[in-house]
Amino acid sequence: MLGMLGGILVMGTVGVVVGVGLALASKIFYVYVDPKIEAVDEALPGANCGGCGYPGCGSNAEAIVAGKSSPSSCVAGGTEIAEEIAEIMGMKLEAREPDIAMPGCSYGLHVADVKYIYNGINDCRAAVLLNGGTKVCPIGCLGLGTCVQACPFDALSMGPDNLPVVDPDRCTGCGTCERICPKHIITLTSHTRRIQAEHTTDECTAPCQRACPAGIDIPAYIHQIAEKNYAEAVRIIKETNPFPAICGRICVQPCEYDCRRNLVDEPVAINHLKRFVSDYERTSGERINVPRAPETGKRIAVVGGGAEGLTAAYLLNRLGHDSTAYEATAQMGGILRIGLPENRLPRDVLDWEINGILDAGVQALTNQKLGRDFTIDSLLKEGFSGVFVATGGWDSQLSDQLSEKSDGPLQTLPGVQLLIDFILNQRAGKASPAGKNVMILGGGKSGLEAARAALKNGSENVNIVLRSSLERSSFSEEELVAAEQEGIQFYFQSAVTRMQGEGSKLSHVEIAHILNSDEEETHTERELLSVDTMLTGAGRFPELIYVVRKEEGEADEEEEAELPDPVPWETLIPYPGPSAEEDIGIFRPGEVTGDYKAVVEAIGSGRRAASSIHRFLTDEPVEAPANMIRTYTRVLSLEQLEPVTELPRQKMPERTHEEQIADPSAEIALGFSEEQAVTEAKRCLQCGLICYRRVEGKTIH
Amino acid sequence: MGDYILLAVSCIFVNNILLIQYLGNCPFLGVSKKMETATGMAMAVVFVLVLAGAITWVVNHLLLKPFGVEYLRTLAFILVIASLVQFVELFLKKSIPALYAGLGIFLPLITTNCAVMGVCLINIKEEYSFMQALIASLTYAIGFGLALILFAGVRERILLARVPKPLQDTSIGLVGAGMMSLAFFAFKGMV
Repeated sequence: MLGMLGGILVMGTVGVVVGVGLALASKIFYVYVDPKIEAVDEALPGANCGGCGYPGCGSNAEAIVAGKSSPSSCVAGGTEIAEEIAEIMGMKLEAREPDIAMPGCSYGLHVADVKYIYNGINDCRAAVLLNGGTKVCPIGCLGLGTCVQACPFDALSMGPDNLPVVDPDRCTGCGTCERICPKHIITLTSHTRRIQAEHTTDECTAPCQRACPAGIDIPAYIHQIAEKNYAEAVRIIKETNPFPAICGRICVQPCEYDCRRNLVDEPVAINHLKRFVSDYERTSGERINVPRAPETGKRIAVVGGGAEGLTAAYLLNRLGHDSTAYEATAQMGGILRIGLPENRLPRDVLDWEINGILDAGVQALTNQKLGRDFTIDSLLKEGFSGVFVATGGWDSQLSDQLSEKSDGPLQTLPGVQLLIDFILNQRAGKASPAGKNVMILGGGKSGLEAARAALKNGSENVNIVLRSSLERSSFSEEELVAAEQEGIQFYFQSAVTRMQGEGSKLSHVEIAHILNSDEEETHTERELLSVDTMLTGAGRFPELIYVVRKEEGEADEEEEAELPDPVPWETLIPYPGPSAEEDIGIFRPGEVTGDYKAVVEAIGSGRRAASSIHRFLTDEPVEAPANMIRTYTRVLSLEQLEPVTELPRQKMPERTHEEQIADPSAEIALGFSEEQAVTEAKRCLQCGLICYRRVEGKTIH
Repeated sequence: MGDYILLAVSCIFVNNILLIQYLGNCPFLGVSKKMETATGMAMAVVFVLVLAGAITWVVNHLLLKPFGVEYLRTLAFILVIASLVQFVELFLKKSIPALYAGLGIFLPLITTNCAVMGVCLINIKEEYSFMQALIASLTYAIGFGLALILFAGVRERILLARVPKPLQDTSIGLVGAGMMSLAFFAFKGMV
């Protein structure tokens, strides 16, 4: 009856009623949502990958607005989205180097040794339940592609050898694969991470790599040489060692002693290969550098322009900090310049390497001596976030008679003197300043001599701190009793863990009494002693980092607050290296003379110092990873190899004796030719933990 | 009473909305990959379908019939269901945030769900009384939830199986759905 008109009327009325109803409802049931949350949520990519640590983009948006998560927390979005979010939030963005996933296993199931044939559920997480997976190697990739399925960005695929392959253009570094891999084999990596890395028991490492004090990824760079990617090989070396041309000439090559080829014929000429690629870089004239992480705006001073100091300065620069090296003599290079003959290390090679570090952005100041031209607190006052002391040994102090030019020993580190200087001055009848509270670190009987001298000079409290136990100390019981009667206090099994002071004065030293140490951990009891003079028994100053001390509870203020005068400071001890037998304190047993032994040891110490400073600046704990491979860590390895074709090691071409006599300063070793280098690189077995390249080819089934 | 039970059994098993009537196939394949989302979706459907069944019955009998414009039923139902879901979403957000947190993301999905629409239309076609329509809506929704959750369980297991490449993901899902459907056909003749 009503026809079309009726339809229009009915539907129109219903529409109007519903529309008005919804409009009213949206007013009545209005819930306030921070418009920022919606804006941030809008900006996020919506992949819900969980890379930020929150269950989805929505929850991360809430966390970002609440200030619990950082605007750059979205790893999938990259810098553009991070900038957009930072703008919404009105915050400044802290730039970060992007991460990328890296599979940590390079031998697929068809070549690796397997325990059994797996035919179960097609998922690594299920396969790992069966006795840890099919492979004999405890950290071998199971090859079932759980990470590939998990990747929210399709950046992973299974390669022909059943190992995941990363598409670097698609990988956002969200870390989903790292979290899902039951064996923790695929991990995130970046230059920043690799500079700081220590070899751990969770990684596939070759014997040569573990033997290298600098921790160079040796199989990786040799592989690049075999593929003729020389520039890439140089870059890999420089991530942990900024001196390939120097190391390639004078390194004591502990890696070659551990080379698995020793079981077959002769070790791969690892060091000569390093020299070859560094010479390639030098003749190409183009500097190859590790890409620099985004600038952090922090400044670090490095005292000492030797191998250790320059390594630390270069790597700190690569980590995004501004580093300045202070050298007491007229030229950078330290022992490398003073101690090595021309025919082993030509000076132009040394200059090329040092210039490379300076070109990369490291500031260098020569003729600047700690204690004479500047002091620790003057540097802190200048605005350096940290001062790393890499002044080396007593010999380097004496190398240009610096200490003899001045009257008495220079006050270098606040309140710290070398025991040997103190005693020599004492014997020579010169004034040796010692304060009221003296602490002597080690030094055996000369430590006791110094303690008595200090007491005679008017010191009130004299402590001797020793690493060893009472039973194993070099003192007899009578000596101890006599010394204690004189007022000397002994601390056995103790280590210095921290120094504190103001300006150029030392005020307190924290020592840790090592109560008992088992394999799991060391139990210590810490004590803060008032000390104004510390005499160290070792022949060198410790590697120390001085930072501005913050009172407890004092928040990290964002603006540059005016530093109080004198500057309160404290020391930070770099985390221990693999050769340290203990983790606690300055002068850890096993590490003390590290940088004397070889340049590569000094480079390793420099890198650990850079990494320690970076960790301190990024509020991470300054300690070695718990599963770091140490000298005494037992790592699965091989005692013998299946037959591998014998290939003779390439001989290093050298100048003839006649030529050497004619020109004694000319470099003796001439370096590999390209053909020799590639042939030698192909001798490398590309070892993993227990896998290696079987030249013959091997069938398992 | 017996009639109602019979109606319920018929709606849940014999005429299962997903597996026998093939309505609502997109959520059936879309949200059945994980048990968690499947359960959430099932709950949301139960909630919305009861409301929608009731309100569309009222709209049909008190509005469309008296004015003789039953030919506009589909259009009117779409309008009513869509605004109902919108309204429920607003209401839950304000009054029962806990429930909203659980069902929230599924509600907009239901706005355009043919299972909901289908049940409302069936209610009218079968000339159910209001009570019957209410029971039918509830039990159809339970049937929907049952099938969805069962299917999610199956798919979670399929994920761990070695599936030939061409059959992976949705293909094997459809095969599984077909087999489940065959199984449900066995209920035919019960009522």
